[in-house]
Amino acid sequence: MFGKPRKSAVLTAAAIALASAATLSAASAPAWAQDVLRIGAPLALTGGLADEGKKQESVWQLWLDKINAAGGIKVGGKTMKVEIIKYDYQTDGKRAGQLAEKLITDDKVDVLMAPFGSGHTKIIAAVTERYQVPLLACVASSESVYDQSFKYLFGTLAPNSGMTDAMAALYKQKLPTLKKIAIYGRDDVFPKSMATSMATSAKAAGIEVAYNELYAVGTMDHSAAISAIKAAGADWIYMTGYTQDLILGRKQLNDLGVKAPIITMVTGPAYKEFTDGLGDLADGVTSSTWWHHATAYTGAAGVWPSTEAFYKDFTTAFKSDPDYVHASCAAAADVLVNAVQKAGSTDKAKVRDALEATDMLTFYGPIKFGPNHMNLGRDMPIIQVQGKDIKVLYPASIANAEMKLIK
Amino acid sequence: MMTRRHIAALGVALWFGILALTPLLADNYTIRIAITIAMYSAMALSWNFIGGFAGYPSFSTAAFFGIGCYVGAIAQRSGVPLVVAWALATVFVTVFAVALGAIILRLKGHYFAIGSIAIVEVVRLVVSSWGGLTGGGDGLNVPLLSGGPDRVATTVLYVMLAIMLAAFVVTILVDRARLGFGLRCISQNEDAADMVGIDTTRYKIAAYALSALFCGTVGAVYASWVGYIDPTDSFSILLSVKVPVMVLLGGAGTVLGPIIGAGAFVMLEEFFWANFLEWNRAILGGIIVFLIFFLPSGILKLDYRRLFRRKSPVDRTEAA
Repeated sequence: MFGKPRKSAVLTAAAIALASAATLSAASAPAWAQDVLRIGAPLALTGGLADEGKKQESVWQLWLDKINAAGGIKVGGKTMKVEIIKYDYQTDGKRAGQLAEKLITDDKVDVLMAPFGSGHTKIIAAVTERYQVPLLACVASSESVYDQSFKYLFGTLAPNSGMTDAMAALYKQKLPTLKKIAIYGRDDVFPKSMATSMATSAKAAGIEVAYNELYAVGTMDHSAAISAIKAAGADWIYMTGYTQDLILGRKQLNDLGVKAPIITMVTGPAYKEFTDGLGDLADGVTSSTWWHHATAYTGAAGVWPSTEAFYKDFTTAFKSDPDYVHASCAAAADVLVNAVQKAGSTDKAKVRDALEATDMLTFYGPIKFGPNHMNLGRDMPIIQVQGKDIKVLYPASIANAEMKLIK
Repeated sequence: MMTRRHIAALGVALWFGILALTPLLADNYTIRIAITIAMYSAMALSWNFIGGFAGYPSFSTAAFFGIGCYVGAIAQRSGVPLVVAWALATVFVTVFAVALGAIILRLKGHYFAIGSIAIVEVVRLVVSSWGGLTGGGDGLNVPLLSGGPDRVATTVLYVMLAIMLAAFVVTILVDRARLGFGLRCISQNEDAADMVGIDTTRYKIAAYALSALFCGTVGAVYASWVGYIDPTDSFSILLSVKVPVMVLLGGAGTVLGPIIGAGAFVMLEEFFWANFLEWNRAILGGIIVFLIFFLPSGILKLDYRRLFRRKSPVDRTEAA
C-alpha cells in the first residue's frame, strides 16, 4: 500500500520542515510593552464585505492618528500609547475565529473590535467569551447577536426594532392613503430582522402586508419576486439587504416598470456607494440609519468634542461623507478608551466592568449599554435621497427636509 | 534494514505525533492550525474515496460538512449530549449520502461534477429557508464547550485527530480490500469493470457514503467548536473546491496523498496569508495553477530521481 516509499520519506521530511517553519513564524510575536493599549481588529479587507471592512480600517486610522498626535491616552496618572493590530479575515467566518484567537494568544491584545456584520461578530464573540477578553461590536445590530448573555460582548448600535415603528408611523402620516406594503428582505442576520420587524410594525400601524418574502444570500436576479410585488400593487416597497443587493433591486424595479410612491431600501442611502451606483434612480429612496452627520451632538467625550468636529476631520481626510459604520466604530474606540481610563489599567476583567458601567456622550450619540449589552435605543434618523443630497426626515429635532413622494 | 514501507509508516506516525504534541509545545494559535490541518486531512481522506479511488469528481464536500454542522447543532440544542450529537450527525450524513448517491451517481464525468455542486446549493437553500428549524439566515447558536480556552483547544484537536486517524485507517483498509480494487477499476473504465463482474453502482455508493461520513463528524465537531453556524459559512463552495485541490496536490487515489496535500496546503495558505497580507489569495491561486501544470499527479508522484539526475557526474560530462 505505501506505494513508492522513498518518495514518501523525502516528502515526510519536507512536511516536517515546513511544519517547523510555520510554527516558528507563528511564534514570533511583536515586542510587548507595558504602557501600550493593544486593540485587536479582525477585518474583512478582501471578499464580500471588503467595502465595510475598509471603512472600519480607515476610520480607526483617523482615530488613532488623532490619539497619537496627542501623545497617547492618560490612564491612572501615566500616558499610554495605543496600538491597533488588524488582520484581514477575507470575509471568511472560519478565518475570523482563527484570527480572533491569534490576536488574543499571539499578539496579546487587551481588547478586540468586532468586524462588520452580525454573523461574524457572533463567531468572534464565541472566542472572546472563552478567553474572557472584552469585545466591542460597532456594526452588529441584530438582537440575536446579544441573546446568549455573553459577559464580554458590547455593541454600540441600538436594537433595530425601534427603527421600524417610527418609520411606519411617519409614512402613514405623510401619505394618509398608504394601504399596502411589500416587504422583501435578504435572508441574513441583520436584513432579515429588519424585514420581520417591519412586518410587525406595519401591521400595528394598520398597513396591509401585501407581500412578504426573503431572498437568499447571493441572489443575482430579483425579477420573479419583483413581478410578484408588482402584482401585489403595493404603494410602499420595503427592501432590505446590503448595498449590492439594493442597487440591483432598485434597477430591476425600474426595468420591470414597478412604481410606488414610497421605496425604502435599508440601509442603502446610508452608504455613499448606493447613491453613486444608482445615480438618478436613487432619488426619493428612503431608509433608516443609526446615525447621520446632521445629528449635532456637542460637548462629547472622546477624541472629537462634537459631531461637527468629526465630520470636519473626516471630510478633510477622505473627501467624502462619513456614514454610520464610520461613526459607530470611531465612537466604539472612544468608549473603549473611556473604559480603560475608568478601570485604570488594561486588566481585562476591570475593563469589562468599566464597559458595563459606561454612560457617556460621544460625537456619535449617547452610549449606555442595556441589560443585553446593546446600546440603549434612541430616536434613529430616517433619511431620504433628494436630488444629490441625503436629507434627514426624522426625528423632527434634526429634520432638514420634507419627505418627497416618488412620482 | 528498514523497508520503504516502514519509512512511510514512520513518517505518518511522526506527523500524527507532531500534531498531537502541539498543545505541549505551542500556543493556542498554533493548536488552531493543527486542528485545521487535522480537520482538512480528514475531509481530504474522505474525498479521496470518491474522487481519488473511484475517479468521480465530487464537489459535495461542503454539503456533507454543512449538514454535519446543522445536525450536530440542532441535536445539541434539543438536549442531546455532545458525543451522541456528533454520532447522530455522522449517521445522518451517511444515510443522506447513500440516498443521494443512489440518484446522483447515475451521472458521469462533468455531469456528475455539476450535479454535486448543485447539491451544495440546494442544501444551503433548504437550510436557509427552513427558518423554523435552522434559524435561517440568523444562524444557530451552539452551546459552547465547557472549560477554558486551553482545554477546549486540546479537546477539539484530539477529537479532530481521532477522526483523521479513523479516516486514514479506513483508507488503508479500503486500499487493501476488494472495494479499493473495484473502485480503481471503475476509475479506469467503468463499463469494463461492470463487465468483469464488479457491482459498479454499489461500489460507487459505498465510496460516496465514505466520502460523506467523516465530513459529517467533522462538521458537527466544528459547530461545537466555533459555537455559531450560519448557512453561508457552513455551505461555502470554497470548501468544496479546497478539499479536492488538497488531494490533487498530495496525489489522488493514494493512501498518503490526502494527508500530505492537506498539511502542505494549510501551511502554505497560512504562510502566504501571514506574510503577504495583500496578495495572499493571488499568490495561492498562482501556486495552485503552477502545481496543476507541473505536478499533475501530486507531490507523491514527483520523480525525485529525475530532479537530481542533472547533478550526477555522467550528466555533467554530457553537458560539458
